[in-house]
Amino acid sequence: MRSVAVTSALIALLCSGCGSWSWGRRSAGPAGLGASNRQDPALSGDGRVLASVVERGGRDTLLLQEQPSGRELPLRHLRRFQPHRSPSLSWNGRYVAVLIQQGSRRLAVIEDRVNGNLLRFPLPGDQEVERLSLAPSGRRLALEVVHNGINRVQVFDLANQLEPDLPAGMLSGGGAPAAAGR
Amino acid sequence: MAMAPPGLVRWARNLGARPLAVLAPLLLSGCSGTLPVPMGGLDRRLEAIGSSHAPALSDRWLALIGGRGGREQVVLVDLDRQMPVPLPGLNRPDAQPLAVAVDAAGERLVVVRQLEGRTELVLYRRALMALEPIAMQPAGVPRRISLRADGRELAVEVSRGGAWQVDLIEVP
Repeated sequence: MRSVAVTSALIALLCSGCGSWSWGRRSAGPAGLGASNRQDPALSGDGRVLASVVERGGRDTLLLQEQPSGRELPLRHLRRFQPHRSPSLSWNGRYVAVLIQQGSRRLAVIEDRVNGNLLRFPLPGDQEVERLSLAPSGRRLALEVVHNGINRVQVFDLANQLEPDLPAGMLSGGGAPAAAGR
Repeated sequence: MAMAPPGLVRWARNLGARPLAVLAPLLLSGCSGTLPVPMGGLDRRLEAIGSSHAPALSDRWLALIGGRGGREQVVLVDLDRQMPVPLPGLNRPDAQPLAVAVDAAGERLVVVRQLEGRTELVLYRRALMALEPIAMQPAGVPRRISLRADGRELAVEVSRGGAWQVDLIEVP
């Protein structure tokens, strides 16, 4: 089985010409009026949604766009609590995880684009969250946390908090974000 | 007026913050449910790595940058087995990894790293144990990355001409 995988990968490599010059490329497109910088990209598992952080009104703000059209997708809770950073998306883009600023604290949150819920992850007062990553299914969340000057990655099990967002054909309930503006 | 359960107030006090400041967002959200459960066994494994940062999750796989004593490397953890897997040919002592992304199969990793004073983007295929550079065109300096679950498309944050842009790159 492994030899088949190796052979397939070799063929793919040879067909690509062994050079990245042949790889398809495109810009993520316009980020809206007045937004000259776009940072922190995150693709949904299926690649149909792109999250990024752009400057709007002088504040780093999460932008969610359908791909490849670039159409902006609505967010219920995340139009405030800037600056936003480190977005991460589930498979179909149903769940949007991001760091927000609330007062003096940075907080990891997950917005469910289907039912509008916002899940929050408060940390103890002596810990600060730096980055996050959401598993495509939405079943796990990794947080990079700074405690006593040391960065550490911690993984949280969300199986009891979120229903899974699975690829089309594997949906177990309301996984598709059709009701959320797609 | 609704009162917070005493247990919740005690928990908030243990957080080292004023209870109201912590509880208000929770109560206002009205949908926070129970607190997330850290994966205890995995946490101990990750602690053994030393400091760690730049996590990238893809359900079964967790990629991160970790190490001790200033020597950092890319680590790929199989979350089902809660064990790191070997990545022969990826890490080298004179390279400093800055960001990593992994596909759902744990087969393709994309890494931003500094090597000989240059910041470069590379694709690592586990089945081949081989690295392939990804050129930035037009020229630019990559920073953060995100990989589609099937590993066939990559989003890259690029510093170019004094501005930050996002490129989307098809991966063959």
